Amino acid sequence: MDVNAAPFFTAQGLCKSFFGVQVLHDMAFSLRPGQVLGLVGENGSGKSTTMNIVGGVLPMDAGRMTIDGAEYRPRSPGEAEARGIAFIHQELNLFRNLSVAENLFIAGFPKLIKGLPFIDRAKVRARTQELLAAVDLDVAPNTPVSRLSQGERQLVEIAKALGANARIMIFDEPTTSLTTRETDRLFDIIGRLQRQGIAIIYISHILGDVMRLCDDIVVLRDGHLVGSAAKADMTIEKMITLMVGRTIDQMFPPRDPPVTLGGPVLEVRGLSQRGMVKDINLSLRAGEVLGISGLMGAGRSELARILFGMDPFESGEVSIGGTKVAALSPAACMDHGMAFLTEDRRAEGLMMEASIADNVALASLPKFGTTWARFIERTRLGDEVTRVSKAVQINARDLQRTLVKNLSGGNQQKAVIGKWLLHHPRVFILDEPTRGIDVGAKYEVYKIVNQLAAGGAGVLFISSEIEELTGMCDRILVMAHGEIRAEFPRTDFDREAILRAAMWHGLKESA
Amino acid sequence: MAPSGAAELARPRRSLAVRLLVSEYLVLALTAVYFVVMWLLVPAIATADTLLDILAAMMPLLVVSIGQTFVLIVAGIDLAAPSILAAASVVGASMMTGEGGFALFTGVPILVGIIAFLGMGLFIGLLNGICTTRLNMPPFIVTLSTMMFFSGFALFYTSALTDDGSSFGDLPSAFVAIGQGTVHGVPYSLGVAAVVMLVAHVTLSRTVFGQWLYAIGRNPRAAAISGVPVKRAVMWAFIISGLCGGVASILYTGRLETGTPVLGQRILLDIVGAAVIGGVSLFGGKGRVTWTLYGVLFLSVVDKGLQLLGLDLASVFAIKGLVILCAAVLDAVRHRLMLRG
Amino acid sequence: MQVTRRAFTVGALVAAVGSSMSVMVKAEGGKTVALLFDSLVSPFWVSGIEIMREKAKSKGWTTLENISNFDDNKQFEQVKAMISRKVDGILIIQTDAKAVIPAIRAANAANIPMVHFNRPPAKSDAYSVAIQADNRKIMQDTVSFMVAQAKKMGGKYKACILIGDLGDVNAIQRRDGFFDIVNQNKDIIDVVGRVSTEWNADKAFAGLTNAIQANPDINFLVTSSDFLHPQIEQVLKSANKWHKKGEAGHVLFGGFDGDEGAYARLQDGYLDACGVQNLALEVDMAFGAFEDLWAGKKPEKLLLDPGFVISQDDLMAKRDTMWGYTVWKKMQKG
Repeated sequence: MDVNAAPFFTAQGLCKSFFGVQVLHDMAFSLRPGQVLGLVGENGSGKSTTMNIVGGVLPMDAGRMTIDGAEYRPRSPGEAEARGIAFIHQELNLFRNLSVAENLFIAGFPKLIKGLPFIDRAKVRARTQELLAAVDLDVAPNTPVSRLSQGERQLVEIAKALGANARIMIFDEPTTSLTTRETDRLFDIIGRLQRQGIAIIYISHILGDVMRLCDDIVVLRDGHLVGSAAKADMTIEKMITLMVGRTIDQMFPPRDPPVTLGGPVLEVRGLSQRGMVKDINLSLRAGEVLGISGLMGAGRSELARILFGMDPFESGEVSIGGTKVAALSPAACMDHGMAFLTEDRRAEGLMMEASIADNVALASLPKFGTTWARFIERTRLGDEVTRVSKAVQINARDLQRTLVKNLSGGNQQKAVIGKWLLHHPRVFILDEPTRGIDVGAKYEVYKIVNQLAAGGAGVLFISSEIEELTGMCDRILVMAHGEIRAEFPRTDFDREAILRAAMWHGLKESA
Repeated sequence: MAPSGAAELARPRRSLAVRLLVSEYLVLALTAVYFVVMWLLVPAIATADTLLDILAAMMPLLVVSIGQTFVLIVAGIDLAAPSILAAASVVGASMMTGEGGFALFTGVPILVGIIAFLGMGLFIGLLNGICTTRLNMPPFIVTLSTMMFFSGFALFYTSALTDDGSSFGDLPSAFVAIGQGTVHGVPYSLGVAAVVMLVAHVTLSRTVFGQWLYAIGRNPRAAAISGVPVKRAVMWAFIISGLCGGVASILYTGRLETGTPVLGQRILLDIVGAAVIGGVSLFGGKGRVTWTLYGVLFLSVVDKGLQLLGLDLASVFAIKGLVILCAAVLDAVRHRLMLRG
Repeated sequence: MQVTRRAFTVGALVAAVGSSMSVMVKAEGGKTVALLFDSLVSPFWVSGIEIMREKAKSKGWTTLENISNFDDNKQFEQVKAMISRKVDGILIIQTDAKAVIPAIRAANAANIPMVHFNRPPAKSDAYSVAIQADNRKIMQDTVSFMVAQAKKMGGKYKACILIGDLGDVNAIQRRDGFFDIVNQNKDIIDVVGRVSTEWNADKAFAGLTNAIQANPDINFLVTSSDFLHPQIEQVLKSANKWHKKGEAGHVLFGGFDGDEGAYARLQDGYLDACGVQNLALEVDMAFGAFEDLWAGKKPEKLLLDPGFVISQDDLMAKRDTMWGYTVWKKMQKG
């Protein structure tokens, strides 16, 4: 790595708009041979847009890029590749049913005789072995890609880029599906590429990795370049501050006014369903945020689904708002003021192809259509949707026209929450409400939860992140093997104790 | 609360051609272009009589396609529509025929006949609805089976109850008037279809039920979790399709003065095609009554143009293929434009 | 701009194809008649439309065509379209005898003559002319010819008839024509087999097999339609009764329709006689009806084609008037 080498790639003033909304403003950066440039920012901050422009996937609206001083304006990914730019995608782009060698040479096999369609098999094998050695991948050239692990496939992609003589390699969240060992190996390879003079653009949410790998770091927020510094002048704290636009001295918003608990709004007695949950007893009070912790498969989501009437139960009883509800169904639960945010917002929470307004309105339609033919009072509904969307701070230009699929994860989650807020829930079950959303949006979701509790609703907060539970909840229940194993009041919150209870592997009680 | 559609993508700063291409009125524009080309070839297409013919002829297709639209919106499909037309036609006509209709003794055979038409549609729709929602069978299989069964039933019913085994004729003139009659030159069928269209449009766009249907088509799981009575709503979509089939059968049967078991046996593609050409999605959640109207208009005008040309079969296929190819090319271009944003 | 250019190209293409087509549809003076068929699925109809095109051309008429594909409603639309085109006459082959009535009324209202080809409409107050083969007469002539042959050869005959679907008037008339003659010749002909085929080839096969098992000495066979020949040939072959005329064990065999299969079996010597619908004559009668109507005359509502019998004796002389021969000739070439 030669710190003093001159940049061979420059980008200046890159701009891009989608549907009239500018998502990238005056992005600029440059690359030296052997440099690793980190690119960080929240979801929707413009990282992927930038890389798609560089990789020829999207055309830029304005700006200028150069390679070796010559104008670079790719019209297709193929053109970008020809100019030495390789994209190692999040979802890998290999043909699973072809062999490693075939994948490496899919764009053009070496021929026995120039101009004739006979493949030089020997040359293919030799070159494949050479490329695989360069990325430390010890598999035979004729191994089908479908037999390789996720990490190995990534190495094949890198080998492919090497084969195409790439000068810039773009890694977009390369470690999300890798094991720790695979990650370490990837970082070794990246170091090796660097020493060969290949420039790397490394995009990741994992700021520790970015600090470890990168020479320089660029921070994006809302499509703007907000910080650019060498590693020596950057810290993780500083990155977060730049990313969210404020210092996070407090990860969790304070409960304001302080907690006052009312009567029970949800009571569960002896709820059991074979293979799912066993003898669940819990009581949720008005104004309370009750956390449920546990490992994957401990029965947390299963409990939530039974409580909302989506799955059956064999025994036990459930009272919502003081009324015993014998036949649980989503409609019955909603009638009693219950709401449920599922863990899978794409499949169960939202209509991706519909507008924000349609999504927010969905659960409350009957309230706005009470006449004989159930005509919807569109003005009143529109006003209410606008009010709720403002309350949960959905960031979109036009609620009626913006499709949910075009929103960031955080805004999508706010749309689901908005849908339930419009229904005025007294009991709100949240299953992993902050999964897959960025730091800023998480904070806003927390604020909404606090407001709900302050307004007298009971919140059942299911999460895999213990920090989140200890930060947000008044009380935490820990589930394991479908049972509630431990209960911690706020005063006794202890990360280790909670984890230990969740990991409880003791003998099952008799019978 | 607007159902999703091309309008969401409409933006300023685009040429007229591009805006037209991505707008929901593309089909109308295509119809107009086709009409002008045909007009140059066969001036007879632009006479008042022909236009009125087109209008009168498309009404039954419009009604049955509107029913189909409801089912398509919930991501279903009603392949049974042609058999609903046929079964309702023969059962309804058998009540009223002068050659020993079952309901002649009541003194109000037309009323009984109309109830029989609607009842047959309701019954088949209900059957489709029950099988799809209660037995969780795919709509494609359910309606394919009911289509075969009731097409067979219509043939059997006719051959068992008529002398020549082919159809029920001699229908009361007051009934025939529903399909054929006009008031001040405007066909009654236009009035019937207009009422169906208006009710369907208001139901889909303005009522809770309509919004539920869109929600089910877009994401049935999210809809169920949001308290939408998914099964009940899907059941009603099939019932509405059946009822529309019954109404359309009244119009067709009146037009032909004959209850025939082969009625509409070959128009399934027109029924589903009209809705899809208009922009209704086969994958659910997207569609409007007006779009279906445009699709039906397009198909009817294309057909009338070809009929007027009076060419041999090979040329007819060649032209129809060309027209559909043009539409497909335009649709592909339109898709690319929409994605590009 | 790329898009508009493409749209323009597509438009230009449509216009070009369209304008070349307009030459074809332009009337060349003289009368224009519409030929409305419900299908072109059998060689009979294909031959029919070809003869019509030819004869119309020789008269200096222009023809317009439409195929309804068995859809009565669509055919009604086609009639209306032809009325809009102000044609001078409409020749129609409808699917349903009753569903065609509104179309006749529409033609009456527009004062355009309508002629039904081969299938008469149901009774109504509307006026139109139908041309139909005289099934009973043709069958009588055919069976008479066979009886004459039988008498020439001498001996007694055990007869079997394959009857069509009795829901079809044509089938009933052909059956009646058969019995008209055999009943007059009970002395030498004994009808031992009546096979109900319902116009279904499988039923015909099974029925004839049973009949021959019950009466292995059947030697006089008549089918109500030539389309059943392949099944008949198969059954007779397996009963070892498929022999040419003049060979020992030959079954006297009579057909009806006069299709290409019938021609081939006549030529090969297996079929003795065939009642033929005189397609060319029927076209002449239909066009003659148009001319009468244009001249202000009012022909009968039903005009019958007497047809003719063709046999091995007069095959060469008469085959040019047999529509099945035209089809057969074409198949030999292609």
